[in-house]
Amino acid sequence: MTTTTTTDGRAGCDECARSDRDGFTRRTFLRGAAAAGAAIVALPALETVSAQAAYAAGWTGDTIVVISFRGGFDGLSAVAPLGDPDYLKLRPNIGIRAAAATPLDAMFGLHPGLAALKPLYDSKSLAIVHATGMPSPNRSHFDAMVEMEEAALGTAIRTGWIGRTMGLSDPGGPFATVQIGGTDVPDALRGSPSVLSMYRLRDFSIDGVGNASDRARWSAALSALHSTAPAAVKSATDTTVGALATVASITATTYKPANGAVYPAGDLGDTLKDVARLIKAGVGLQAVTLDVGNWDMHAGLAPTNNPRSGWMWDQLSEVGAALAAFAKDLGPKLDTTTVLTMSEFGRRAYENESNGVDHGWGNACFVLGGGVNGGKVYGTWPGLTKAKLDYTDGDLEATTDYRAVLADILKNRVGASVGQLATVLPGYSGGPLVGLTKAKA
Amino acid sequence: MTVLSAAEESAPDQAGPTRRRVLQGAAVVAAAAALPMAAAAPAQAATTGSSFLPASARLHLLRRATYGPSPSALADVTRLGLSGWVEWQLQPSLISDTAVSAMLAKLPVPNDGTAISTVKAKLDAGTISGWDQFMSIPKAHLIRATWSRRQLLTVMEELWSDLFNVAVPHDGTNESRAHYQYTIRSKALGRFDDLLWSITRHPAMLTYLNNRDSDRFAPNENQGRELLELHSVGVDAGYTEDDIKNAARILTGMSVNNDTGEFQYKPGMHWVGPVTVFGFSAGNDTEGGGEAVSKALVLYLARHPKTAHRVAYRIAQRFVSDDPPEPLVASLARTYTANRTAIAPVLRQLFASAEFAASRGLKVRRPVEHVAATLRALQVGPDTGDGGSINTLLWTAGAMGQQPFAWSTPDGFPERAENWLSTATTLERWSASRRLVEGWGTGDLGRADLRAWLFGSATATPATYGDMVDIASKKLFYRVLPSEHRTAVCTFLRARPLSPLSTDSSALTWRLRSWVSLLLDTPYHLYR
Repeated sequence: MTTTTTTDGRAGCDECARSDRDGFTRRTFLRGAAAAGAAIVALPALETVSAQAAYAAGWTGDTIVVISFRGGFDGLSAVAPLGDPDYLKLRPNIGIRAAAATPLDAMFGLHPGLAALKPLYDSKSLAIVHATGMPSPNRSHFDAMVEMEEAALGTAIRTGWIGRTMGLSDPGGPFATVQIGGTDVPDALRGSPSVLSMYRLRDFSIDGVGNASDRARWSAALSALHSTAPAAVKSATDTTVGALATVASITATTYKPANGAVYPAGDLGDTLKDVARLIKAGVGLQAVTLDVGNWDMHAGLAPTNNPRSGWMWDQLSEVGAALAAFAKDLGPKLDTTTVLTMSEFGRRAYENESNGVDHGWGNACFVLGGGVNGGKVYGTWPGLTKAKLDYTDGDLEATTDYRAVLADILKNRVGASVGQLATVLPGYSGGPLVGLTKAKA
Repeated sequence: MTVLSAAEESAPDQAGPTRRRVLQGAAVVAAAAALPMAAAAPAQAATTGSSFLPASARLHLLRRATYGPSPSALADVTRLGLSGWVEWQLQPSLISDTAVSAMLAKLPVPNDGTAISTVKAKLDAGTISGWDQFMSIPKAHLIRATWSRRQLLTVMEELWSDLFNVAVPHDGTNESRAHYQYTIRSKALGRFDDLLWSITRHPAMLTYLNNRDSDRFAPNENQGRELLELHSVGVDAGYTEDDIKNAARILTGMSVNNDTGEFQYKPGMHWVGPVTVFGFSAGNDTEGGGEAVSKALVLYLARHPKTAHRVAYRIAQRFVSDDPPEPLVASLARTYTANRTAIAPVLRQLFASAEFAASRGLKVRRPVEHVAATLRALQVGPDTGDGGSINTLLWTAGAMGQQPFAWSTPDGFPERAENWLSTATTLERWSASRRLVEGWGTGDLGRADLRAWLFGSATATPATYGDMVDIASKKLFYRVLPSEHRTAVCTFLRARPLSPLSTDSSALTWRLRSWVSLLLDTPYHLYR
């Protein structure tokens, strides 16, 4: 376990960073579980083949991978508005200067930690939407997360947008909707017919139940003993028992990423590698969510005028390397995969006295996949003038409703009809962000 | 935490986004919660866990007000009666608790109120590490949850720790977090206004929510916001962004002495000028007066009707149902207000209420509770080793998603069932049973011979597999299983209920621990 003392002035309000919490508990867990894991005997792949074949029906969309940057991602550091005359005035110490950035167009440049994404941008697999967010600001981590993930503002609907998306077609198998990297199911998945959540593929087994015949015996007994349980309890049991068999088959062999892809060490690389593995195994993955925490940078975002070290550098370097490795590893499977990053809010346009940024509004998001019209920063730049900041209370205005991004992906990459869009995004009439993605062939 | 009544919960046309998590399965449970009298009817059995639980009111009380029934706890409640037992638990200082003191004394930082400055001196001298301090806190909690006789106090300590979460570990709280836990525990059954003021000015909270560095030039809104949103009136109370800004201004100067780590009010940092916050107003006209204004604000908020309702809701949600009935919540809130925010009268009323009595099977255990309840059900004794077994308990709870106090965000671990029925938590719960029953990593915990404990002697041999399962079920669950489930356990052992046992049958020897852990994986052990 790493040290917990502050040595570099980093301070977040730590309201969010769900995956921090998971990381803490998970890392503790993994050390202890390693011995038990090693005892698990590899299983013949046979037993789940028939189950896998049954999953595919109904869903014709891409595998949608939603990465949530928990804690309030600072889009103004990640995708810096180099051409905005007010940007460096508002952020004299932590603003990204042109010399340090990877230029994208006349206005924007990538933070140096994200340089690994430039080839994907150039090859048109990666698009960026800037100045996007909720129609009005919500600067509470928890409220904003729920509001954004429910995506049903002004209605009584309390399911999540991914949950409603899953309801558009047949339920699919136990791997239709997966949360990976932590056990806590995000709000966006509420309403899914079933959600399978796990830390990692390799950890997914009962301690000491080490071979296929033992697992079958345990599974049968657990199912029978839950036969009369309330629906939520029975469903959790059935999903877990089914998933145990499938995961055992997938993990029976050692995974080697394709095309020379090398994932960075850390939670994001590990979980994306597992996602790639699930996609390639053809288990019927329709939507997967994972969290990347530790973005709540109220203080110590970066040393003064040194974006190549510090908190943001560490975080973005991992994100850039992990996404690049994921795209490389997927190869042709990237054509049927769409990755979207989200965060509950952006940060204030101006830095505070501790080289940090407080809770704000508009933000940048990344959209990655073979079906993306990449190589472009989408959106309408509102500027960072004093008049604008007076209007927004000091934030980047969200000029593109984030639901426009969802609507475009849903329309083109999931194949949702106009009526279905209304189901998934109730109360939203703004239409898709035209051009962001290509209609599925 | 969102305050919502049960009536609102069941109204499909209620507008407005909230942060509640309502999964399909849980919605059914919630509907039953709004109709507590219906919960006992057979037709409702499949939607709650009540059919898995014995009818005993004593066991119902123990499942809710402790970390799980144990033979000795059942003896206590049988001796004292239901209300007598509650009264006994409401005065924890009168309850002898020697069994845990030896275990707690082995921790690097005992959770005994050791001053922050003393811990800091040890840290500075290198006698202990920050990590030692942090890990002492969840370990002490697991020890107390499992073996302390002050069970209700420990339950309430956990409840307030969620409401006032300060994540363990967290930067800058190396010297203060253990004392923070002591502060919550020492006030957990006192008055809410005192508790709220104590945590608001505590160095651990002031650090966690950045107030220690907040000054009049650029107030940091973090703690000011959470004081309203999470710690008192709640996000739906109706306050404004200006209220938050003013709360943050009032709190400027509430800081920490960097040399000692103790609380320090720093007048030079305080924002001066008139302020209003959600009906509270103050001239706030001196630098030196900021602490008094902060205290006045906190006491005002603690006694606000919205806070009364919210605290009552939170307590009812812990002890009655995920969506507690609004009449009960409103009644508890009135008691809270009438008793100047005293907590004990609220608990006393709750445990005596019809809603409580009718709520059997409506609550699912959280992971910490599952670990403690398993050890309590098996009557596993205290740790006799150097703490390695406690470490196993710690990461076992963590693997299920609840390492005590490790929730990273200020809202604390969730309380609703659906948060603890994920696939990952389910799987880890099954693994936890194996670990705790087999003794893997927990070899230093005092254990009787399992066969002797269950069946009377180390060679005891029930006549049949069915008899064997019946005896064990009575011992663990205070009931026998219906024949369908008894048969399932026998089938797991490749036998039938009427199959005869011999003294060296595998089910009584090398397989004993596996089927006992299977029993603990079932709904019979899932419910609070």
